[in-house]
This record gives sequence, C-alpha cells and structure tokens, in this order.
Amino acid sequence: MTKPNSLVYFLLPPIHRESSSSSTSQTQSTGEREMEALKVWSLTASPLRQLLRLSSSSTAIYGRRSHHSSLMLRCASAASSSSSSSNAATAETPKPSGRNRRAASSSNSTSDREAIRSIRLKKVEELRGQGVEPYAYKWEKSHSANQLQEIYKHLENGEELNDESDRVSIAGRVVARRAFGKLAFLTLRDDSGTIQLYCEKERLSDEQFEQLKAFIDIGDILGASGSMKRTEKGELSICVSSFSILTKSLLPLPDKYHGLTDIDKRYRQRYVDMIANPEVADVFRKRAKIVSEIRKTVESSGYLEVETPVLQGAAGGAEARPFVTYHNSLGRDLYLRIATELHLKRMLVFEVVVEPKLVQPTFVLDYPIEISPLAKPHRGNAGLTERFELFICGREMANAFSELTDPVDQRRRLEEQVRQHNAKRAAAAAETPEGKAKKDDDDDDDESYEVTLDEDFLTALEYGMPPASGMGLGIDRLVMLLTNSASIRDVIAFPVLKVQQNQKCFLFSIWADQWAHKVSNFTKDKRDLVELEGQSNGEILKSSLKKETLDSEDGERREKKKKVQWVDLMGKELAEILKKKR
Amino acid sequence: MEDHSDLPSRSMDVAATALPLDDEEEYVYEDALSECSEVQDAEQCLQKYYENRLKDLDNGDQDSYPHKFAVSISVSEFIAKYKSLFNGDHVEDDQVSVAGRIMSKRSSSSKLSFYDLNDSCLKVQVMADLRKSELDKDEFAKLHAFAKRGDIVGVTGSPGKTKRGELSIFPRSFTVLSPCLHMLPSPANNRKQEIWSPGHLRHPERYLLKDQETRFRQRYLDLMMNNHEIPQIFKTVDNINKYIRRFLSLLDFVEVSAPMLHAIPGGAAARPFVTHHNDLDMKLYMRISPELHLKKLVIGGMDRVFEIGKQFRNESIDMTHNPEFTTCEFYMAYADYNDLMKMTEDLLSGMVKELTGGYRVKYHAKGYDKDPIVIDFTPPYRRIDMIGELEKVANLSIPKDLASEEANKYLIDACGRFGVKCAAPMTTARLLDKLVGHFLEGTCVNPTFIMNHPEIMSPLAKSHRSIKGLTERFELFINQHELCNAYTELNDSVVQRQRFADQLKDRQSGDDEAMAMDESFCTALEYGLPPTGGWGIGIDRLAMLLTDSHNIKEVITFPLMKPQAQDAAPEAEDDKL
Repeated sequence: MTKPNSLVYFLLPPIHRESSSSSTSQTQSTGEREMEALKVWSLTASPLRQLLRLSSSSTAIYGRRSHHSSLMLRCASAASSSSSSSNAATAETPKPSGRNRRAASSSNSTSDREAIRSIRLKKVEELRGQGVEPYAYKWEKSHSANQLQEIYKHLENGEELNDESDRVSIAGRVVARRAFGKLAFLTLRDDSGTIQLYCEKERLSDEQFEQLKAFIDIGDILGASGSMKRTEKGELSICVSSFSILTKSLLPLPDKYHGLTDIDKRYRQRYVDMIANPEVADVFRKRAKIVSEIRKTVESSGYLEVETPVLQGAAGGAEARPFVTYHNSLGRDLYLRIATELHLKRMLVFEVVVEPKLVQPTFVLDYPIEISPLAKPHRGNAGLTERFELFICGREMANAFSELTDPVDQRRRLEEQVRQHNAKRAAAAAETPEGKAKKDDDDDDDESYEVTLDEDFLTALEYGMPPASGMGLGIDRLVMLLTNSASIRDVIAFPVLKVQQNQKCFLFSIWADQWAHKVSNFTKDKRDLVELEGQSNGEILKSSLKKETLDSEDGERREKKKKVQWVDLMGKELAEILKKKR
Repeated sequence: MEDHSDLPSRSMDVAATALPLDDEEEYVYEDALSECSEVQDAEQCLQKYYENRLKDLDNGDQDSYPHKFAVSISVSEFIAKYKSLFNGDHVEDDQVSVAGRIMSKRSSSSKLSFYDLNDSCLKVQVMADLRKSELDKDEFAKLHAFAKRGDIVGVTGSPGKTKRGELSIFPRSFTVLSPCLHMLPSPANNRKQEIWSPGHLRHPERYLLKDQETRFRQRYLDLMMNNHEIPQIFKTVDNINKYIRRFLSLLDFVEVSAPMLHAIPGGAAARPFVTHHNDLDMKLYMRISPELHLKKLVIGGMDRVFEIGKQFRNESIDMTHNPEFTTCEFYMAYADYNDLMKMTEDLLSGMVKELTGGYRVKYHAKGYDKDPIVIDFTPPYRRIDMIGELEKVANLSIPKDLASEEANKYLIDACGRFGVKCAAPMTTARLLDKLVGHFLEGTCVNPTFIMNHPEIMSPLAKSHRSIKGLTERFELFINQHELCNAYTELNDSVVQRQRFADQLKDRQSGDDEAMAMDESFCTALEYGLPPTGGWGIGIDRLAMLLTDSHNIKEVITFPLMKPQAQDAAPEAEDDKL
C-alpha cells in the first residue's frame, strides 16, 4: 500500500530538535522573515480567476489556494496503518510519581480500561449521591497557570501570601497527584502551563479532603481557589481553600512515553496525544499564527479575502481525479475542487533529480508550457512559461506564475488536455480485463472520470483579465517546516486515516449484541481462509487491507475475506480480546 | 496638492482650450450595438461582434496580451491627488501610469477619443488626443479604432482637468492590456451612482446589469457593471470575517481547521453529501458541522478554539439555503450559555456599529419594491423561553415529559388545531420545531434569543441546571431567521450516549436528519471535556442582513446554480419566495 516515493515526498530531513520553548521563538522569527517575501498571494482556481478578471492590478483579490485536501489525502494514501500494541497495564490507583513525570502510568488494554471506566462511573454515581454534580456548568477562573508563574515568580521559597488580593482561582486537568496522610499535591495543567495545588487537610472541609482522596483521578478537570505560596522545595503552588470537580474523566490517560510511540493512536485520537504531549497543541497554535501572519501581510497590501466554491458542477482540469458527490434535490453529480499543482508536478521528470539539492529557499524558474496549462508564455523564451516554484528543504512550498490571460491560447491548451485525457481513457477501456484489474490496484493512474472543457472559465477570460500574477502557498508544508514536523499529519489536527477509528466504533456499537458471535466466527473464518489460500496469518491481515477487486474470486472466498476484513476493522481492541480467548 | 493648482502655466491652458471640443455630451457614445444595427437578431449581433474582435486581434501587429504594465498610481490615488486642480489646468510635468477597464467610449474623429477608465467603482476620464500622443496619425487612428468598451487598458500621460471640470489623463501612450472580446451586456450609462456602504439600502432597480441569472452565473459581469454596489458587498463579507477574527483573537481564541471529509456526519441534524475515497475505498461525508472535532480539541487542552469555514448540507436551494455555506463556531472552556449570550450581544452590536456607524440597520425584508424595516442591534437582546412562551402564545399546556407518547399525541393534536403542517415523521422534536416556527419565530424581528430548548431537540446540549427535560441552549433569531445556535456543551459521556440512542429512535422512525451515533466522540468525552460553551453563527445570513440582501446568492461569490436547461425550465422559482 505504501508508496515509498510519496512517503519521501512528505518527510523532511530531521533538522535540529530542540526543546519546544526555544524552538518556538526561533521558528517564529524564521516565519516572519518568510512572510516578508510574500507580496503576491492569489488563487488560480478558475472561480477566483473570474473575479480577478475585473479588478485592475491595484485591487486584486486573493483567496487561499487549497493544497489542504490533496496534501492531506495524498498523505493518507502513504500512511501506514500499523499500530503498536498495547502498553503495559498498571493499576488504577495512582502511584506517587516524581513531579516531572506529569502523565500517569496507565493502561491501554481494553479490559483494564473497562475496569477503570466502571470504577470511575461508580464514583460519578457516588458523587451525585452526595449532592455533588461531577459535570459542572461553569467555573470562573481568575488566572491561567502561566500568568501565576509570571506574577509570583519572585515569591521566595516557603513564602506565602495571604492578602485578599492574592486569592486566585484556576482550572485545568489533573496530570499528577501525590497524597500523604494530611497533605496532597496535585499538578494541574491548563492551556498555558502547569501549577501545583497544595492541599492541606486543615484548610479544607472534611468532605472536600475526603473527596480529594477518594474521588479525584488523574485526568479529571478541576477548578480550585486559594492563596499563593512557594513550597520549601521551590514549587509555586496554590494553597487550596476550596475546589470543585468540573469534569470527571472516565478513561485513563496514556503513559507519556508509550503514548508517543503509538503513532496510530496519535493521529486517530489526537486529543489523547495533546493531553499526553502539550507541545502537540503548540503546533496548532503556531499554525494559527502562521495563517494569521499571512492574512496580515496580504491585508496590509490591500487584498480582499474571498471564498470560492468547493462544490463544482464540472470537473475542471484533467490533472487529478476529483471527489464526486451527488446533490439530491438538483439531481446531479457535483465535484469537489482540486488543487492542480501537485498533480501537475508529478509529470515533472527532472523534479526528482533537482529537488533534493534545494535546501535553502530557491526559486526554480520558467517551466515548460506542457506542464503549466494556466501560465502565460515566457516573454523571451519560446516553449517556456513565466512560472516559478519555491523549494525549501527539497520540498515545493509555493507555485506561482504570470496568469495566462489570452482566451484563445487558453482554449487551445485546455482542449489539448481534454484530448489527452480522453485518449488515455479510451486506451484504458480497450485493455484486457486482466490488465484492467491490475490497473485498478493503482488508483493514481485511473482515468475513468470524465473531464469537460471549462467553458465558463474561457468565457470569463474573453471578457478580459488584466495582466495578473497568482501564487499558491502550501500552508501544511510551511507549518511543517516552521514547527520542525516530520509528517504532514503532525500539522493537521485530524488527518484522514485509512479506516477511521470512529467507523470501527460505530460498527462496534451497532452490532454490539452480535459481538461474541462475530468473535468466534472470526477465528473460524480466518482458519478457513488459511486453508483456502495457504497463507500465513500475517499475509491475511495484509491482504484484508487491500481493496477487493478480483472478479475471479469465488463467492465463498470473497465472503470470508470480507468477514475477516470486517472484523479487522474492529482493530486493536478486538485483537486483544482474541488473544485472551485463545 | 495646492502646489499643483499653482503650477499650470497659461500655455497649458491654451492647449486645453485649443481642442475643438471637450464637452463629452457633444460626442456620440460609442455603443457596440450601433455597430451592427443592420443585423436584426441580437444573438447574431453578439456573435458577429465577437468574431470581428477576434479578427482584429489576429490582424493586430502588437502583442494583444502584454505581460506587464507598471501602474504608478491607482485611480483612487489619482483622484485624491489631482481633484483640486482648477478647470482647464494641466500638469505637464507629472507623468503617471494608470490602468483599468474602459466602461465608456466617446469619439468624434480619428484624432480625439474620450474614455472612462474604471478601477472598481472609481473612474477617471482619458482624453486621447493625437497631438499629445507619441504615435503618428495612422497608428493613432488604428489604435483607437481597435480599443473598445470593456477593454483593460494602461495609459501613461499627464493629469489635468478639462474646461468643463472633468478630471482627466492626457495620454502620451495608450496600451490595450487585455481586450474584451464580448459586447458588454448593457449600454454605457453615465449617471453617477452612489457607492454603497453597509447598513444602507441597495437599489437593484438601478443596476446596469439587472438579470439575476446572469449576475450570479457570470459574477464578474455583475462586479464589473454594478460596480458601485457588488464589490462593496464582498468587501463587507470580508469585513464581517475580519471583525469576528479580531474579536475572538482578543479573547485568546486560536483559529483551527477541522476536516472537511468525515467518516460519520456529526454535530448537526442535516442530510450530508456522500463521496468516496478511491484509494482508501472508503465512504466519506462532507462535513455538516465542525462541532465534534472542535470539542475534541478542547478535550485535548486547547481551551478556546474557533473555525470560520464551509459546511455542506444536501438540501434544496432557496432564498436562504445554499448547499455550501460559511459558519463560524467557537468553543470556550469554563463558559456557559449565559456567557455566550453576552458575547453574542457584544460581538454583533460591536460589529454593526463598526461597519455601519450605528446600531440600526435598514433592511428590505419583504422585497426591494416594499418599504424596508429597521433592525435594531442595540444590546441587550430580548430573551424568550421556548416552551414557556409557546404555551403562553398558543395557550397550550404541553405535558412535562416531552419524551412521552402523551406529549407526542398532545402536540400532534395542537398542530392539527392550529393548522400547522408537519410532514411525517411526526416526532415530538419536529412537531415542536414547527410550532415554534409558527408562533414564535415571526415575533423575532429585532435580535431575539429563543432559549432553553428541550433535550429531545438538542442532543449535544447540556441539560438545564434547574429545569428538567430542557437544555441550556439558545438560538438567536433576527428578521425571523435563525442566525446563531449555542449551548452549554453536554460533557457527560453516559448522557451523550443515551441522547444518541434516542436520536437513533427518531432515525428509525424515518427522520433522516436525526443525528448519527458517533462512538469516537463519546470515547473522547470519556477523557473529560471541561465545562464548555459552544457557539455557531451563519456568516452568510449575517452578511445578508448587513448588505440588504434577501437572497443568499447575493453574498456568495459563486452560488451553486441549477444546470442551465435548454428547454428553459422555470428557473426563477427559488427567487420568488
């Protein structure tokens, strides 16, 4: 499944890895330098070009050239679905742990998770029995953890402030806890940082201290108020006078160390990754900052931000296979817009040779007309266009050109594209069935979709478009570069993955009653399949992930394979249960 | 600027007066239609015009599509700089380069032509005089015979004012940068149109291009011909988004993007678009809401997130619905719906004040031919309790247990009595929705919060802290349309699972807009979502209110249109609401 070249395409060479705080400032300053170069920022998707047409050069309009979905999906096609197996299970009762070890040791195995879940559900019930609602409505916090660290950084060891103005309230997630007889320490984390809660029995009501010991688990969201103090050991703390359970968590947090290694879970349950590794959210904060800087830059040059449609009546361009959907009340197919640049680039033969050498920001200039159907012919060199791509670290970051404004030339080029596409389609249709089946394995080359000439766009050009230039910038890659991220999935909050976790769970819940039945059948089907195909278990798992296309397969085998595949969707959790069943 | 008005010498003035005529009214407007007046059929005429222009392009010896024209000054800067010149003044020492589209051409002889050069809604006159040109007589005549209304041109020359006071450029060079091959859809009109600004009424009856089909299908013509209004509409949409971004950024919200393609369509009750990912061989839905993903980010520790983005709903197209539309949603940890109502008032009143200069907005609620209403955005906004108000207005006594058969029967009966139509399936949620639509929404012209929806209508909202069976939810209605939807988020995973299961019941009874179970979301809740307030607004509808638009297509650059049918099916049905 994994195409090595597409993987390479997205991996950045490992650059210096630094502690997250120092790399923050560094990447941001790099970011600002980068921004200065971006004076022109425009969209080449046809609708936007239509808008550009009527604006003169001084009031151009810009929009985002969406690399997003195609990058995301390409990446997904290169994703491996492997996931590491479960981590060592530990008991629910939290062990005293060092301050630096913020995330608790915990378990990922299904049965332990279930056990913890039911223990905590019982706590929810008991709390309600005591008249305490473990899912609060609201909490007024006076400060963030970081603000407190900043305001009280001069507090001496052992010093406590009891002034009314030094009473604070805070809220966050409990990421560590230690309890000794009459004293408990909790580490609370909010989106700015962490702070210690210093909970003395005598400062709290009996019920509250009891609650603290018996009902609060790592992972719970807590609101606390009290006065400021620095412990003898130098840890800034809130001396808690009252607290409130704001949200009771039911599932254990992953072990920080193991959580990191479970790549699959990192992407599928991004929020767990974010709880275990707060620096993950920093990537998304930086992403927001980068986008906001780009906005500021273009805004200050007088650009207007516009939105162009995602759903289109015709599949424009012949470079990429579009997503197709159907509008019920119009009764017609619609196509999702595509980013053309990447697909065009695939046709660039020399790209592989040249790119890896382009580490420092480099413009590659003047691409041939054949691979630049929307770019204006070069004013000096026949056969070339006025186009450049920006490469950094061997990856394409930006694509820009003087826009082709001659409707006659544009028509000629688009017609040629459609002609070539249709020729490929006809050739594919004429192939023998075996050849066709083989071809179906590789969807990238599939030409079965229909492409029509974008007459609307050509008509718009005929009304006259001012000389204009357009640029597209791959936000994901830029963010990867500026956040030292190796995979595009690290900069997209929820990347599309092979078989989504929620789909598994959906099936799981719908057919929960058939669960036991399925489990026993799974082992049987799998055995049968081994006999049928003479394959090892590993191969079956692999083949079960492959798309089913073989028409020659007999019904029974296909049926069994489907079942294996279906159960495989249940994922790791099922595998765990199976192991135990055997 | 004053130094310029002192500058012109007598000789320059003489140069200007020496012209045979500089009063545009005495020239024949060059209207394309006159060129083919002998051709009867309009379509033939347009086709002939197009062919002639293509032929002229072929015959031309210069590059018809130059790569670059260096603009030294925009039309608006030009006007600002030179508007204080005296009539007849001419600043020979200044050489400026201006570019734009010709929206009007007048000429008397092969030696003199006048053009109106437009840059968006601003215009400057170009007085092309052979004597000022660097071209010889034949070249000059040929160039100005070729230049047509609609062409994009770049001119370099000196500024001045004609004796009649028309601010002009007297070009040394005149270059067609991009010819317009088609005849523009309506004749030139020199009537001065006032530039529209937010909060003011629109006047579509004064448009040069009136036909709605053409305006929406060929938006570039709309922007070009109705340039005193349409560009301002989209600028206003941009300003709305900018205001929201600024408002939320000041409160430390982080802008994020949730995925567009979902494995399960969640977060709202609507029919989704279905598509297929070939390589993964997987059915995907285009998102109907980013809600569940944004809440997952809050679970992950990002306490304040928002997204401005597109949502997709597979429903019919009408005056207030486009299959893709833009929303802003934000999620704020430790806030509840009371906080959100205050924020809604602050955001909307602040925005309206900044964009329009006041709180009261005029709006043609009943069509452009009727008197406009005034919508008052002055905070605070009226708050009405959904069930309580419904019982009061319709004199009902709805059974307290809304999930019961009894309540369902009662509401079916009530709808029957009042003649409120509710298509099958008649679930309690749908019946209530119809009754609210019938009795309450009509009273919500100025911004009004309808609050405390029942649990059965709000599967993702937290139960009300003191009233059983209801939730802490509100919808903001303006001009009888829902604009915002917000609630204290349900964060108890056990209750969430139960609500999804209840929705499943509605689904089984045939309500395909009931929400689908999303186990991954329930699992996420089990990790603990802090008390959170969540809020959403329809940007398009807000833009409609602030731009005096009563069709959503007016505020979408390229709205989805029905296929153009050859048999001319009645297309306008949408637009006649």
